[in-house]
Amino acid sequence: MKKALLIFILFSQPIVSELVLEITKGSDDPYSIAIINFDGPKNINNQISSIVTNDLNRTGEFRILQDNQLLSSPANQDEINYDDFKLLNVDFIVMGAISQEDKSNISVSYEIYSVNKKSKIRTSTVYGIPNRLRQLSHYISDGIYEEVTGIKGVASTRLLYVTEQMINSRSIFKLVVADADGENEQVLLQSREPIISPSWSPNSKEVAYVSFETGMAKVYIQNIASGSREIVLENNSQISSPSWSPNGNFLSLTLYQDGNAEIYILNLKNKNLTRLTNHYSIDTESSWSPNGSKIMFTSGRSGSPQLYEINLRKFNSKPKRITFEGNYNAKGSYLPNGEGMVFVHRKDDSFQIALKYFNENFVRALTKSRLDESPSVSPNGNVIIYAISEDGTGLLAGFTLSGARFRLPTKIGQVREPSWSGFLR
Amino acid sequence: MLNIKQIENINLYSLFILVFLISSCSSMNVTEEVVYDGGIRTIEASIQEDAILDYETKAIFTNATVYFEFDKFNLNTKSLQTLKSAVSAMKDNESIRVTIAGHADERGTREYNLALGQRRADAVKDYFVLSGIDKNRISVKSYGEERPLSYGSDEVSYSKNRRAEIN
Repeated sequence: MKKALLIFILFSQPIVSELVLEITKGSDDPYSIAIINFDGPKNINNQISSIVTNDLNRTGEFRILQDNQLLSSPANQDEINYDDFKLLNVDFIVMGAISQEDKSNISVSYEIYSVNKKSKIRTSTVYGIPNRLRQLSHYISDGIYEEVTGIKGVASTRLLYVTEQMINSRSIFKLVVADADGENEQVLLQSREPIISPSWSPNSKEVAYVSFETGMAKVYIQNIASGSREIVLENNSQISSPSWSPNGNFLSLTLYQDGNAEIYILNLKNKNLTRLTNHYSIDTESSWSPNGSKIMFTSGRSGSPQLYEINLRKFNSKPKRITFEGNYNAKGSYLPNGEGMVFVHRKDDSFQIALKYFNENFVRALTKSRLDESPSVSPNGNVIIYAISEDGTGLLAGFTLSGARFRLPTKIGQVREPSWSGFLR
Repeated sequence: MLNIKQIENINLYSLFILVFLISSCSSMNVTEEVVYDGGIRTIEASIQEDAILDYETKAIFTNATVYFEFDKFNLNTKSLQTLKSAVSAMKDNESIRVTIAGHADERGTREYNLALGQRRADAVKDYFVLSGIDKNRISVKSYGEERPLSYGSDEVSYSKNRRAEIN
């Protein structure tokens, strides 16, 4: 018992530095789901249940009812009295069973029933691997989410971000990976010099980032499982702002070798460079369209930072300006369906996250604080995470396109520049 | 005759199975999956310390800082005054080499600010070169908004952070 307690303390210690989830607003018309306690060890059920409930709540699209809020608690399909659920306006019922072969090998089978159809609509099994109960739970959340909404869930995806912590008046920078709910933080790189602009490779196995550890901004690619890494390009000037092409074969970069920030495309296989921009003003923050046919970037060529687009499929294509509202529009990225973009937009003295659909001629400001930056879109296109600054502390906040808002406050240091992974399941 | 009928029956039977399969597919999803192994490894960056300073020559040359307006990289009269004395120090002692580091305040995006810091450092370098200093004696870099001098979120702090430092 004492030993178990000690292990618990050891494992729970990192929680201090973990991000805590806070849901500030949800959707007006959520799906109602009854989650019946899963058969099996009670402590495991409780852990899974709280993670799944949290995941689904964060989407803002669900109202979750637990056993104690229900009129009946069926043990199997035959015991379901659909009228009991209809009375409570429940749309779906989730039931399941946990099987534990040994201490570390857990699998969960779950079933989803439609109250409206009075029938089973899904049966799924998730096989866990040792010490990944959280990940297993996220898989269940995503199974429920995609069955009910028809859209792939992102609970099992991950976030990459940078933290800065002052220790004895010296900064420690960390590149961190965490689950999409901010839990399970793991450090990829620790440095005394700044780390900026992290981004995932399309297969989510590698990350690219800018590190100042040599005394100058340089772009690195690091394999997250092995920790092996390399400088993508050697020259004697700054290199920054990496962005992966959707097929993973190219990296667009900002090079300073011409005495000015210009965007190039680097072929990762043969290291060939192709110059994309040629202008005496700043060109940076490149980002690929989902099908790889276009690159968006920030340019100061009009006298203030604005977003431009280059068509890669057309020979000698000229950059086309795509933002016109306000005197600061920067760090744009495409929505996964290619129908719009998110970017940082200055309104009066505030920097906000804005969305623009390409078939509309106006900008939607989506946030209201003063120093919002670095928007990153979830792979299903439904959630946007970004960095805010509150009383001098940097933290991560998010919202869903359905209207839910959440934030991932941190207890130690500054958190910034979130980047959302691709789908992992 | 009997044989043919048997075949027809079999066909009809398999058709039933097929219809059943299709209908059950459309009404119920069956999935099986294994959780992704998200193992990672932590590494630590080894910092390359700056080239050892030549204190004797550095002592002659006083370190200088010049300041800029928001989203601007042009040198104002006060900056030119500061740089003038730096130039004459460099002319007096040919062995002095300098690094110019450009910085930005926290407003705006990080990469744009990195580029802006570079423009500020370049503006100082251009002035040195125009004043007759060999460009090989000057190296430039930018820290963007990553190394603020003052941590406040107000104009007083911002104006201290929009700078180019000559060392």
